[in-house]
Amino acid sequence: MSDYTRFFLVDDDIDDISVFKEVLKEVDPSIELVSAGDGQEALKFLKHLRDDYPDVIFLDLNMPRMGGKECLAEIKKDAALQHIPVIMYTTSSQSKDIEETMLKGAMCFITKPTNLKELKNILHSISRNVHSNLEKCLRTLSNTSNTFIVC
Amino acid sequence: MLIVDDKKENLFSLKTLLQLNLYDVDTAMSGEEALKKILKNEYELIILDVQMPGMDGYEVAENITGYSKSKDIPIIFLSAVNIDKRFITKGYSSGGVDYITKPFDPELLLLKIKTFSKLYRQTKELNDIRSNLEQKVEERTAELIEANKELETSNAELQQYAFIASHDLQEPLRKIITFSQIVKERFVHTGEGAQYINRIISSSERMRSLINDLLSYSKLTVTPEFTNTSLNLIAQDTVTDLELSIKETGAKLVVGHLPSADIIPDQMRQVFQNIISNAIKFSKRGVPPEIKIWSDFTEEKSAETGPVEKGRYCRIYICDNGIGFSEQYLDKIFTMFQRLHGRSEYEGTGIGLSIVKKIIEKHNGLVTAKSAEGEGATFIIVLPLKQTAKPAPVLQ
Repeated sequence: MSDYTRFFLVDDDIDDISVFKEVLKEVDPSIELVSAGDGQEALKFLKHLRDDYPDVIFLDLNMPRMGGKECLAEIKKDAALQHIPVIMYTTSSQSKDIEETMLKGAMCFITKPTNLKELKNILHSISRNVHSNLEKCLRTLSNTSNTFIVC
Repeated sequence: MLIVDDKKENLFSLKTLLQLNLYDVDTAMSGEEALKKILKNEYELIILDVQMPGMDGYEVAENITGYSKSKDIPIIFLSAVNIDKRFITKGYSSGGVDYITKPFDPELLLLKIKTFSKLYRQTKELNDIRSNLEQKVEERTAELIEANKELETSNAELQQYAFIASHDLQEPLRKIITFSQIVKERFVHTGEGAQYINRIISSSERMRSLINDLLSYSKLTVTPEFTNTSLNLIAQDTVTDLELSIKETGAKLVVGHLPSADIIPDQMRQVFQNIISNAIKFSKRGVPPEIKIWSDFTEEKSAETGPVEKGRYCRIYICDNGIGFSEQYLDKIFTMFQRLHGRSEYEGTGIGLSIVKKIIEKHNGLVTAKSAEGEGATFIIVLPLKQTAKPAPVLQ
Protein backbone atom coordinates (compact mmCIF):
# COMPACT_ATOMS: atom_id res chain seq x y z
CA MET A 1 0.00 0.00 0.00
CA SER A 2 1.22 3.41 -0.85
CA ASP A 3 1.13 6.02 1.86
CA TYR A 4 -0.44 8.76 -0.21
CA THR A 5 -4.01 9.06 -1.42
CA ARG A 6 -4.81 8.49 -5.05
CA PHE A 7 -8.12 9.10 -6.83
CA PHE A 8 -8.87 7.57 -10.21
CA LEU A 9 -11.32 9.46 -12.45
CA VAL A 10 -12.73 7.71 -15.53
CA ASP A 11 -14.45 10.25 -17.75
CA ASP A 12 -14.37 11.10 -21.45
CA ASP A 13 -15.16 14.76 -20.82
CA ILE A 14 -11.92 16.74 -20.57
CA ASP A 15 -13.70 19.78 -19.16
CA ASP A 16 -15.10 17.74 -16.31
CA ILE A 17 -11.69 16.21 -15.67
CA SER A 18 -10.05 19.62 -15.52
CA VAL A 19 -12.67 21.03 -13.13
CA PHE A 20 -12.40 17.92 -10.95
CA LYS A 21 -8.62 18.26 -10.91
CA GLU A 22 -8.71 21.95 -9.98
CA VAL A 23 -11.23 21.49 -7.21
CA LEU A 24 -9.35 18.51 -5.81
CA LYS A 25 -6.15 20.54 -5.78
CA GLU A 26 -7.88 23.19 -3.71
CA VAL A 27 -9.30 20.59 -1.32
CA ASP A 28 -6.09 18.64 -0.76
CA PRO A 29 -3.05 19.22 -2.98
CA SER A 30 -1.41 16.03 -1.73
CA ILE A 31 -4.01 13.79 -3.39
CA GLU A 32 -2.87 12.44 -6.71
CA LEU A 33 -5.43 12.30 -9.50
CA VAL A 34 -5.10 9.81 -12.32
CA SER A 35 -7.61 9.83 -15.14
CA ALA A 36 -8.68 7.65 -18.04
CA GLY A 37 -10.88 8.58 -21.01
CA ASP A 38 -13.00 5.44 -21.23
CA GLY A 39 -13.67 2.06 -19.62
CA GLN A 40 -11.15 0.18 -21.72
CA GLU A 41 -8.36 2.57 -20.90
CA ALA A 42 -9.32 2.41 -17.24
CA LEU A 43 -9.19 -1.38 -17.10
CA LYS A 44 -5.88 -1.45 -18.93
CA PHE A 45 -4.45 0.93 -16.38
CA LEU A 46 -5.88 -0.91 -13.35
CA LYS A 47 -4.76 -4.34 -14.51
CA HIS A 48 -1.18 -3.16 -14.85
CA LEU A 49 -0.97 -2.11 -11.23
CA ARG A 50 0.61 -4.44 -8.68
CA ASP A 51 -0.33 -3.10 -5.27
CA ASP A 52 -0.52 0.64 -5.66
CA TYR A 53 -4.26 0.65 -6.40
CA PRO A 54 -6.21 3.93 -6.27
CA ASP A 55 -8.17 4.53 -3.06
CA VAL A 56 -11.36 5.33 -4.89
CA ILE A 57 -12.60 5.21 -8.48
CA PHE A 58 -14.95 7.84 -9.91
CA LEU A 59 -16.70 6.34 -12.92
CA ASP A 60 -18.72 8.14 -15.59
CA LEU A 61 -21.55 6.29 -17.36
CA ASN A 62 -21.60 7.36 -20.99
CA MET A 63 -18.20 6.92 -22.55
CA PRO A 64 -16.97 5.73 -25.94
CA ARG A 65 -15.69 2.16 -26.43
CA MET A 66 -16.58 0.94 -22.94
CA GLY A 67 -19.18 2.66 -20.76
CA GLY A 68 -19.30 2.88 -16.98
CA LYS A 69 -21.66 -0.04 -16.41
CA GLU A 70 -19.52 -2.51 -18.31
CA CYS A 71 -16.34 -1.18 -16.73
CA LEU A 72 -17.87 -1.46 -13.26
CA ALA A 73 -18.82 -5.10 -13.94
CA GLU A 74 -15.25 -5.87 -15.07
CA ILE A 75 -13.75 -4.25 -11.97
CA LYS A 76 -16.06 -6.20 -9.65
CA LYS A 77 -15.24 -9.42 -11.50
CA ASP A 78 -11.49 -9.01 -10.95
CA ALA A 79 -10.33 -10.40 -7.60
CA ALA A 80 -7.48 -7.91 -7.41
CA LEU A 81 -9.68 -4.87 -8.12
CA GLN A 82 -13.05 -5.61 -6.57
CA HIS A 83 -12.09 -4.14 -3.19
CA ILE A 84 -11.65 -0.64 -4.62
CA PRO A 85 -14.68 1.54 -3.86
CA VAL A 86 -16.38 2.74 -7.05
CA ILE A 87 -18.40 5.95 -7.06
CA MET A 88 -20.56 6.50 -10.13
CA TYR A 89 -20.03 10.11 -11.21
CA THR A 90 -22.33 11.09 -14.05
CA THR A 91 -24.87 13.52 -15.49
CA SER A 92 -27.64 10.94 -15.28
CA SER A 93 -30.09 10.75 -12.42
CA GLN A 94 -32.18 8.02 -14.01
CA SER A 95 -33.47 5.42 -11.61
CA LYS A 96 -32.61 2.53 -13.92
CA ASP A 97 -28.97 3.68 -14.09
CA ILE A 98 -28.86 4.00 -10.32
CA GLU A 99 -30.42 0.61 -9.64
CA GLU A 100 -28.27 -1.16 -12.18
CA THR A 101 -24.96 0.25 -10.97
CA MET A 102 -25.78 -0.19 -7.29
CA LEU A 103 -26.66 -3.82 -7.97
CA LYS A 104 -23.39 -4.28 -9.82
CA GLY A 105 -21.53 -3.16 -6.71
CA ALA A 106 -21.07 0.60 -6.96
CA MET A 107 -20.74 2.15 -3.51
CA CYS A 108 -22.55 5.31 -4.39
CA PHE A 109 -24.15 7.23 -7.26
CA ILE A 110 -23.41 10.95 -7.54
CA THR A 111 -24.96 13.21 -10.16
CA LYS A 112 -22.31 15.68 -11.23
CA PRO A 113 -23.02 18.91 -9.35
CA THR A 114 -23.23 22.21 -11.19
CA ASN A 115 -22.13 24.15 -8.21
CA LEU A 116 -18.38 24.29 -7.55
CA LYS A 117 -18.92 24.62 -3.82
CA GLU A 118 -20.94 21.41 -3.88
CA LEU A 119 -18.18 19.55 -5.67
CA LYS A 120 -15.64 20.96 -3.27
CA ASN A 121 -17.74 19.85 -0.35
CA ILE A 122 -18.12 16.33 -1.75
CA LEU A 123 -14.44 15.90 -2.54
CA HIS A 124 -13.53 17.30 0.85
CA SER A 125 -15.67 14.74 2.69
CA ILE A 126 -14.45 11.89 0.54
CA SER A 127 -10.75 12.78 0.90
CA ARG A 128 -11.11 13.03 4.68
CA ASN A 129 -12.78 9.64 5.01
CA VAL A 130 -11.26 7.62 2.22
CA HIS A 131 -9.13 5.58 4.62
CA SER A 132 -11.67 5.23 7.41
CA ASN A 133 -15.37 4.86 6.77
CA LEU A 134 -16.08 6.06 3.26
CA GLU A 135 -19.47 4.42 2.96
CA LYS A 136 -20.79 6.06 6.11
CA CYS A 137 -19.43 9.42 5.03
CA LEU A 138 -21.18 9.14 1.66
CA ARG A 139 -24.45 8.23 3.34
CA THR A 140 -24.23 11.31 5.55
CA LEU A 141 -23.35 13.37 2.50
CA SER A 142 -26.42 12.10 0.62
CA ASN A 143 -28.64 13.39 3.43
CA THR A 144 -27.10 16.82 3.78
CA SER A 145 -25.93 17.75 0.30
CA ASN A 146 -28.04 19.47 -2.34
CA THR A 147 -26.41 17.25 -4.92
CA PHE A 148 -28.22 14.13 -5.99
CA ILE A 149 -26.41 11.32 -4.16
CA VAL A 150 -27.68 7.78 -3.70
CA CYS A 151 -25.94 5.22 -1.49
CA MET B 1 -83.99 -12.58 -68.55
CA LEU B 2 -83.89 -16.22 -69.46
CA ILE B 3 -86.73 -18.44 -70.58
CA VAL B 4 -86.20 -22.19 -70.35
CA ASP B 5 -88.58 -24.52 -72.17
CA ASP B 6 -88.07 -27.63 -74.26
CA LYS B 7 -90.87 -26.60 -76.63
CA LYS B 8 -89.97 -24.12 -79.34
CA GLU B 9 -93.52 -22.79 -79.71
CA ASN B 10 -93.78 -22.01 -76.00
CA LEU B 11 -90.44 -20.24 -76.11
CA PHE B 12 -91.45 -18.25 -79.12
CA SER B 13 -94.76 -16.99 -77.76
CA LEU B 14 -93.33 -16.01 -74.38
CA LYS B 15 -90.28 -14.40 -75.94
CA THR B 16 -92.44 -12.36 -78.27
CA LEU B 17 -94.68 -11.24 -75.42
CA LEU B 18 -91.72 -10.10 -73.37
CA GLN B 19 -89.84 -8.48 -76.21
CA LEU B 20 -92.96 -6.52 -77.08
CA ASN B 21 -92.75 -5.18 -73.54
CA LEU B 22 -89.13 -4.18 -74.13
CA TYR B 23 -87.45 -6.92 -72.12
CA ASP B 24 -84.12 -8.28 -73.16
CA VAL B 25 -84.80 -12.01 -73.59
CA ASP B 26 -82.57 -15.05 -73.90
CA THR B 27 -83.78 -18.64 -74.30
CA ALA B 28 -82.63 -22.15 -73.50
CA MET B 29 -84.11 -25.44 -74.73
CA SER B 30 -82.95 -27.63 -71.85
CA GLY B 31 -81.85 -27.51 -68.24
CA GLU B 32 -78.23 -28.12 -69.19
CA GLU B 33 -78.20 -25.32 -71.73
CA ALA B 34 -79.84 -23.02 -69.20
CA LEU B 35 -77.20 -23.68 -66.55
CA LYS B 36 -74.37 -23.02 -69.02
CA LYS B 37 -75.93 -19.71 -70.00
CA ILE B 38 -76.51 -18.71 -66.36
CA LEU B 39 -72.87 -19.27 -65.58
CA LYS B 40 -71.81 -17.17 -68.54
CA ASN B 41 -74.34 -14.31 -68.47
CA GLU B 42 -76.14 -12.07 -66.03
CA TYR B 43 -79.92 -12.49 -65.75
CA GLU B 44 -82.45 -10.64 -63.67
CA LEU B 45 -85.13 -13.29 -63.86
CA ILE B 46 -85.52 -16.89 -65.01
CA ILE B 47 -88.79 -18.37 -66.26
CA LEU B 48 -88.51 -22.11 -65.97
CA ASP B 49 -90.65 -24.87 -67.44
CA VAL B 50 -91.09 -27.76 -65.00
CA GLN B 51 -91.31 -30.73 -67.31
CA MET B 52 -88.32 -31.12 -69.57
CA PRO B 53 -86.45 -34.15 -70.86
CA GLY B 54 -83.14 -34.75 -69.03
CA MET B 55 -82.83 -32.29 -66.17
CA ASP B 56 -86.28 -31.12 -65.04
CA GLY B 57 -87.15 -27.66 -63.78
CA TYR B 58 -86.73 -28.49 -60.07
CA GLU B 59 -83.22 -29.79 -60.60
CA VAL B 60 -82.29 -26.73 -62.65
CA ALA B 61 -83.66 -24.47 -59.89
CA GLU B 62 -81.72 -26.30 -57.21
CA ASN B 63 -78.56 -25.93 -59.25
CA ILE B 64 -79.16 -22.25 -59.85
CA THR B 65 -79.70 -21.51 -56.16
CA GLY B 66 -76.59 -23.55 -55.38
CA TYR B 67 -74.25 -21.20 -57.27
CA SER B 68 -73.26 -18.13 -55.36
CA LYS B 69 -73.36 -16.14 -58.59
CA SER B 70 -76.97 -16.97 -59.37
CA LYS B 71 -78.50 -17.80 -56.00
CA ASP B 72 -80.46 -14.55 -55.79
CA ILE B 73 -81.92 -14.60 -59.30
CA PRO B 74 -85.68 -15.00 -58.96
CA ILE B 75 -87.11 -18.11 -60.65
CA ILE B 76 -90.70 -18.30 -61.85
CA PHE B 77 -91.95 -21.82 -62.61
CA LEU B 78 -94.34 -22.20 -65.51
CA SER B 79 -96.22 -25.47 -65.91
CA ALA B 80 -99.21 -26.78 -67.79
CA VAL B 81 -99.01 -30.33 -66.50
CA ASN B 82 -97.90 -30.29 -62.88
CA ILE B 83 -100.59 -28.14 -61.40
CA ASP B 84 -101.15 -30.23 -58.34
CA LYS B 85 -100.41 -28.61 -54.96
CA ARG B 86 -97.46 -30.92 -54.17
CA PHE B 87 -95.69 -29.89 -57.41
CA ILE B 88 -96.26 -26.27 -56.58
CA THR B 89 -94.83 -26.82 -53.09
CA LYS B 90 -91.83 -28.60 -54.60
CA GLY B 91 -91.33 -25.67 -56.93
CA TYR B 92 -91.15 -23.22 -54.08
CA SER B 93 -88.87 -25.44 -51.98
CA SER B 94 -86.45 -25.96 -54.85
CA GLY B 95 -85.89 -22.22 -54.98
CA GLY B 96 -88.72 -20.67 -56.99
CA VAL B 97 -90.33 -17.38 -56.07
CA ASP B 98 -93.56 -18.12 -57.91
CA TYR B 99 -95.34 -20.99 -59.60
CA ILE B 100 -97.63 -20.12 -62.50
CA THR B 101 -99.90 -22.61 -64.17
CA LYS B 102 -100.98 -22.57 -67.76
CA PRO B 103 -102.97 -21.12 -69.24
CA PHE B 104 -101.74 -17.85 -67.75
CA ASP B 105 -102.93 -14.30 -68.04
CA PRO B 106 -100.15 -12.45 -69.95
CA GLU B 107 -100.90 -9.18 -68.22
CA LEU B 108 -100.59 -10.75 -64.76
CA LEU B 109 -97.37 -12.50 -65.79
CA LEU B 110 -95.89 -9.23 -66.97
CA LEU B 111 -96.80 -7.55 -63.69
CA LYS B 112 -95.16 -10.37 -61.73
CA ILE B 113 -92.07 -10.21 -63.90
CA LYS B 114 -91.88 -6.50 -63.38
CA THR B 115 -92.18 -6.86 -59.59
CA PHE B 116 -89.67 -9.68 -59.29
CA SER B 117 -87.04 -8.13 -61.50
CA LYS B 118 -87.39 -4.88 -59.61
CA LEU B 119 -86.98 -6.77 -56.34
CA TYR B 120 -83.94 -8.53 -57.70
CA ARG B 121 -82.32 -5.30 -58.80
CA GLN B 122 -82.90 -3.75 -55.41
CA THR B 123 -81.58 -6.80 -53.55
CA LYS B 124 -78.54 -6.84 -55.77
CA GLU B 125 -77.95 -3.16 -55.20
CA LEU B 126 -78.27 -3.64 -51.44
CA ASN B 127 -75.88 -6.57 -51.51
CA ASP B 128 -73.39 -4.57 -53.51
CA ILE B 129 -73.62 -1.71 -51.03
CA ARG B 130 -73.24 -4.11 -48.11
CA SER B 131 -70.19 -5.87 -49.45
CA ASN B 132 -68.75 -2.53 -50.45
CA LEU B 133 -69.34 -1.26 -46.95
CA GLU B 134 -67.87 -4.36 -45.38
CA GLN B 135 -64.81 -3.99 -47.52
CA LYS B 136 -64.54 -0.32 -46.62
CA VAL B 137 -64.91 -1.09 -42.92
CA GLU B 138 -62.19 -3.71 -43.22
CA GLU B 139 -59.93 -1.29 -45.05
CA ARG B 140 -60.55 1.45 -42.55
CA THR B 141 -59.97 -0.90 -39.61
CA ALA B 142 -56.69 -2.01 -41.11
CA GLU B 143 -55.75 1.62 -41.68
CA LEU B 144 -56.66 2.49 -38.11
CA ILE B 145 -54.65 -0.39 -36.69
CA GLU B 146 -51.71 0.70 -38.79
CA ALA B 147 -52.08 4.34 -37.75
CA ASN B 148 -52.37 3.31 -34.13
CA LYS B 149 -49.20 1.28 -34.38
CA GLU B 150 -47.41 4.21 -35.95
CA LEU B 151 -48.71 6.48 -33.21
CA GLU B 152 -47.48 4.16 -30.51
CA THR B 153 -44.08 3.97 -32.10
CA SER B 154 -43.77 7.69 -32.62
CA ASN B 155 -45.05 8.28 -29.11
CA ALA B 156 -42.41 6.01 -27.65
CA GLU B 157 -39.83 7.68 -29.86
CA LEU B 158 -41.00 11.09 -28.73
CA GLN B 159 -40.66 10.15 -25.07
CA GLN B 160 -37.23 8.77 -25.72
CA TYR B 161 -36.40 11.88 -27.67
CA ALA B 162 -37.58 14.21 -24.92
CA PHE B 163 -35.64 12.24 -22.39
CA ILE B 164 -32.40 12.18 -24.36
CA ALA B 165 -32.75 15.80 -25.37
CA SER B 166 -33.28 16.97 -21.80
CA HIS B 167 -30.52 14.74 -20.57
CA ASP B 168 -28.02 15.90 -23.17
CA LEU B 169 -28.96 19.51 -22.60
CA GLN B 170 -27.84 19.17 -19.00
CA GLU B 171 -24.22 18.53 -19.95
CA PRO B 172 -23.35 21.79 -21.68
CA LEU B 173 -25.46 23.74 -19.23
CA ARG B 174 -23.60 22.31 -16.27
CA LYS B 175 -20.39 23.51 -17.88
CA ILE B 176 -21.71 26.99 -18.50
CA ILE B 177 -22.57 27.26 -14.83
CA THR B 178 -19.33 25.70 -13.59
CA PHE B 179 -17.02 27.78 -15.74
CA SER B 180 -18.94 30.98 -15.06
CA GLN B 181 -18.43 30.27 -11.38
CA ILE B 182 -14.72 29.75 -11.92
CA VAL B 183 -14.42 33.00 -13.86
CA LYS B 184 -16.34 34.83 -11.16
CA GLU B 185 -14.33 33.38 -8.28
CA ARG B 186 -10.91 33.77 -9.82
CA PHE B 187 -11.04 36.77 -12.07
CA VAL B 188 -14.07 38.98 -11.51
CA HIS B 189 -14.87 39.56 -7.91
CA THR B 190 -16.86 42.76 -8.00
CA GLY B 191 -18.36 45.36 -10.26
CA GLU B 192 -20.39 45.19 -13.41
CA GLY B 193 -18.58 42.13 -14.72
CA ALA B 194 -19.51 40.12 -11.64
CA GLN B 195 -23.14 41.18 -12.01
CA TYR B 196 -23.26 40.01 -15.61
CA ILE B 197 -21.75 36.71 -14.65
CA ASN B 198 -24.34 36.35 -11.88
CA ARG B 199 -27.02 36.85 -14.49
CA ILE B 200 -25.49 34.17 -16.69
CA ILE B 201 -25.44 31.80 -13.73
CA SER B 202 -28.99 32.47 -12.58
CA SER B 203 -30.36 32.16 -16.13
CA SER B 204 -28.53 28.90 -16.55
CA GLU B 205 -29.85 27.67 -13.22
CA ARG B 206 -33.36 28.52 -14.35
CA MET B 207 -32.84 26.61 -17.55
CA ARG B 208 -31.56 23.69 -15.57
CA SER B 209 -34.70 23.46 -13.43
CA LEU B 210 -36.76 23.82 -16.61
CA ILE B 211 -34.97 20.83 -18.11
CA ASN B 212 -35.41 18.85 -14.90
CA ASP B 213 -39.14 19.53 -14.90
CA LEU B 214 -39.44 18.58 -18.56
CA LEU B 215 -37.59 15.41 -17.76
CA SER B 216 -40.03 14.47 -15.03
CA TYR B 217 -42.97 15.35 -17.30
CA SER B 218 -41.71 12.99 -20.00
CA LYS B 219 -41.18 10.28 -17.39
CA LEU B 220 -44.90 10.46 -16.54
CA THR B 221 -45.77 8.56 -19.68
CA VAL B 222 -44.39 5.35 -18.24
CA THR B 223 -47.24 3.44 -16.60
CA PRO B 224 -46.88 1.89 -13.17
CA GLU B 225 -49.70 0.16 -11.22
CA PHE B 226 -52.38 1.55 -8.93
CA THR B 227 -52.01 0.49 -5.30
CA ASN B 228 -54.32 1.18 -2.40
CA THR B 229 -52.40 3.70 -0.33
CA SER B 230 -53.19 6.03 2.55
CA LEU B 231 -53.24 9.60 1.31
CA ASN B 232 -52.23 10.70 4.79
CA LEU B 233 -49.01 8.77 4.31
CA ILE B 234 -48.41 10.57 1.02
CA ALA B 235 -49.10 13.94 2.62
CA GLN B 236 -46.74 13.10 5.47
CA ASP B 237 -43.96 12.13 3.03
CA THR B 238 -44.41 15.42 1.22
CA VAL B 239 -44.22 17.42 4.42
CA THR B 240 -40.97 15.63 5.27
CA ASP B 241 -39.55 16.37 1.82
CA LEU B 242 -40.45 20.03 2.14
CA GLU B 243 -39.15 20.32 5.71
CA LEU B 244 -36.43 22.78 4.78
CA SER B 245 -38.65 25.30 3.02
CA ILE B 246 -41.35 24.90 5.67
CA LYS B 247 -38.79 25.81 8.31
CA GLU B 248 -37.36 28.70 6.30
CA THR B 249 -40.74 30.32 5.68
CA GLY B 250 -42.24 29.50 9.07
CA ALA B 251 -45.13 27.78 7.30
CA LYS B 252 -47.86 26.12 9.36
CA LEU B 253 -49.38 22.91 8.01
CA VAL B 254 -52.52 21.25 9.33
CA VAL B 255 -53.32 17.89 7.75
CA GLY B 256 -56.72 16.36 8.60
CA HIS B 257 -57.77 12.78 8.06
CA LEU B 258 -57.42 11.65 4.46
CA PRO B 259 -58.73 8.30 3.18
CA SER B 260 -56.91 5.52 1.34
CA ALA B 261 -57.38 5.26 -2.43
CA ASP B 262 -56.08 3.35 -5.44
CA ILE B 263 -53.22 5.58 -6.55
CA ILE B 264 -49.75 5.56 -8.03
CA PRO B 265 -47.86 6.61 -4.87
CA ASP B 266 -44.83 8.23 -6.52
CA GLN B 267 -47.01 10.31 -8.79
CA MET B 268 -49.42 11.32 -6.05
CA ARG B 269 -46.45 12.40 -3.93
CA GLN B 270 -45.47 14.67 -6.81
CA VAL B 271 -49.02 16.12 -6.87
CA PHE B 272 -48.91 16.99 -3.17
CA GLN B 273 -45.37 18.27 -3.46
CA ASN B 274 -46.20 20.59 -6.36
CA ILE B 275 -49.36 22.01 -4.83
CA ILE B 276 -47.95 22.43 -1.32
CA SER B 277 -44.69 23.96 -2.53
CA ASN B 278 -46.76 26.39 -4.63
CA ALA B 279 -48.75 27.27 -1.52
CA ILE B 280 -45.49 28.03 0.26
CA LYS B 281 -43.99 29.87 -2.70
CA PHE B 282 -46.99 32.10 -3.44
CA SER B 283 -47.35 33.45 0.08
CA LYS B 284 -48.10 37.07 0.91
CA ARG B 285 -45.05 39.10 1.70
CA GLY B 286 -44.37 39.03 5.42
CA VAL B 287 -47.20 36.59 6.16
CA PRO B 288 -46.07 33.05 7.02
CA PRO B 289 -47.95 30.48 4.91
CA GLU B 290 -50.77 28.57 6.55
CA ILE B 291 -51.83 25.45 4.72
CA LYS B 292 -54.80 23.27 5.63
CA ILE B 293 -55.46 19.90 4.05
CA TRP B 294 -58.71 17.97 4.54
CA SER B 295 -61.05 15.70 2.62
CA ASP B 296 -64.65 14.59 2.12
CA PHE B 297 -66.52 12.06 -0.03
CA THR B 298 -68.81 12.52 -2.99
CA GLU B 299 -70.83 10.27 -5.27
CA GLU B 300 -70.05 12.19 -8.48
CA LYS B 301 -66.74 13.14 -10.06
CA SER B 302 -67.29 16.79 -9.29
CA ALA B 303 -65.85 19.53 -7.14
CA GLU B 304 -69.31 21.09 -6.73
CA THR B 305 -71.64 18.30 -5.53
CA GLY B 306 -72.53 18.11 -1.86
CA PRO B 307 -70.46 15.84 0.38
CA VAL B 308 -71.87 12.45 1.39
CA GLU B 309 -71.09 10.03 4.19
CA LYS B 310 -69.60 7.42 1.90
CA GLY B 311 -69.13 7.96 -1.84
CA ARG B 312 -67.21 6.60 -4.78
CA TYR B 313 -64.92 9.63 -4.88
CA CYS B 314 -62.83 11.40 -2.29
CA ARG B 315 -62.14 15.10 -2.51
CA ILE B 316 -58.92 16.49 -1.15
CA TYR B 317 -58.78 20.20 -0.33
CA ILE B 318 -55.46 22.00 -0.06
CA CYS B 319 -56.11 25.51 1.16
CA ASP B 320 -53.60 28.31 1.65
CA ASN B 321 -53.58 31.96 2.79
CA GLY B 322 -51.32 33.14 -0.03
CA ILE B 323 -51.70 35.70 -2.79
CA GLY B 324 -54.37 33.69 -4.64
CA PHE B 325 -55.32 34.34 -8.25
CA SER B 326 -58.29 35.51 -10.23
CA GLU B 327 -60.43 32.56 -11.30
CA GLN B 328 -60.48 33.80 -14.88
CA TYR B 329 -56.98 32.33 -15.08
CA LEU B 330 -58.12 28.94 -13.78
CA ASP B 331 -57.51 27.15 -17.10
CA LYS B 332 -54.18 28.85 -17.57
CA ILE B 333 -52.60 27.71 -14.35
CA PHE B 334 -52.90 24.05 -15.39
CA THR B 335 -51.39 24.67 -18.82
CA MET B 336 -47.75 24.05 -19.46
CA PHE B 337 -45.45 27.10 -19.30
CA GLN B 338 -48.26 29.42 -18.23
CA ARG B 339 -47.20 31.76 -15.48
CA LEU B 340 -49.28 34.45 -13.83
CA HIS B 341 -46.34 36.28 -12.33
CA GLY B 342 -43.06 37.70 -13.52
CA ARG B 343 -39.96 35.67 -12.90
CA SER B 344 -38.49 38.30 -10.63
CA GLU B 345 -41.48 38.04 -8.28
CA TYR B 346 -41.85 34.27 -8.03
CA GLU B 347 -39.49 31.70 -9.41
CA GLY B 348 -40.68 28.56 -11.17
CA THR B 349 -40.86 26.96 -14.56
CA GLY B 350 -44.61 26.84 -15.13
CA ILE B 351 -44.67 23.08 -15.46
CA GLY B 352 -45.62 22.04 -11.92
CA LEU B 353 -49.40 22.28 -12.17
CA SER B 354 -49.50 20.79 -15.66
CA ILE B 355 -47.78 17.75 -14.16
CA VAL B 356 -50.44 17.72 -11.41
CA LYS B 357 -53.21 17.81 -13.99
CA LYS B 358 -51.69 15.04 -16.07
CA ILE B 359 -51.26 12.79 -13.04
CA ILE B 360 -54.79 13.37 -11.75
CA GLU B 361 -56.25 12.68 -15.19
CA LYS B 362 -54.31 9.45 -15.28
CA HIS B 363 -56.01 8.59 -11.99
CA ASN B 364 -59.41 9.23 -13.67
CA GLY B 365 -59.97 12.19 -11.39
CA LEU B 366 -60.10 15.93 -11.76
CA VAL B 367 -58.32 18.91 -10.28
CA THR B 368 -59.54 22.46 -9.99
CA ALA B 369 -59.11 25.44 -7.71
CA LYS B 370 -61.10 28.17 -6.03
CA SER B 371 -59.48 31.50 -5.42
CA ALA B 372 -59.62 35.24 -5.65
CA GLU B 373 -56.73 37.66 -5.89
CA GLY B 374 -55.23 38.27 -2.46
CA GLU B 375 -57.59 35.78 -0.80
CA GLY B 376 -55.58 32.57 -0.77
CA ALA B 377 -56.34 29.54 -2.94
CA THR B 378 -57.97 26.17 -2.40
CA PHE B 379 -56.98 23.37 -4.73
CA ILE B 380 -59.53 20.57 -4.98
CA ILE B 381 -58.58 17.10 -6.17
CA VAL B 382 -61.35 14.60 -6.90
CA LEU B 383 -60.13 11.01 -6.96
CA PRO B 384 -61.98 7.71 -7.39
CA LEU B 385 -61.38 5.53 -4.32
CA LYS B 386 -61.29 2.38 -6.48
CA GLN B 387 -59.69 2.09 -9.91
CA THR B 388 -61.35 -0.45 -12.18
CA ALA B 389 -58.67 -0.70 -14.84
CA LYS B 390 -54.93 -0.45 -15.09
CA PRO B 391 -53.50 3.02 -15.70
CA ALA B 392 -53.96 3.92 -19.35
CA PRO B 393 -50.80 4.54 -21.31
CA VAL B 394 -50.86 8.21 -22.14
CA LEU B 395 -50.93 9.12 -25.81
CA GLN B 396 -49.93 12.65 -26.42
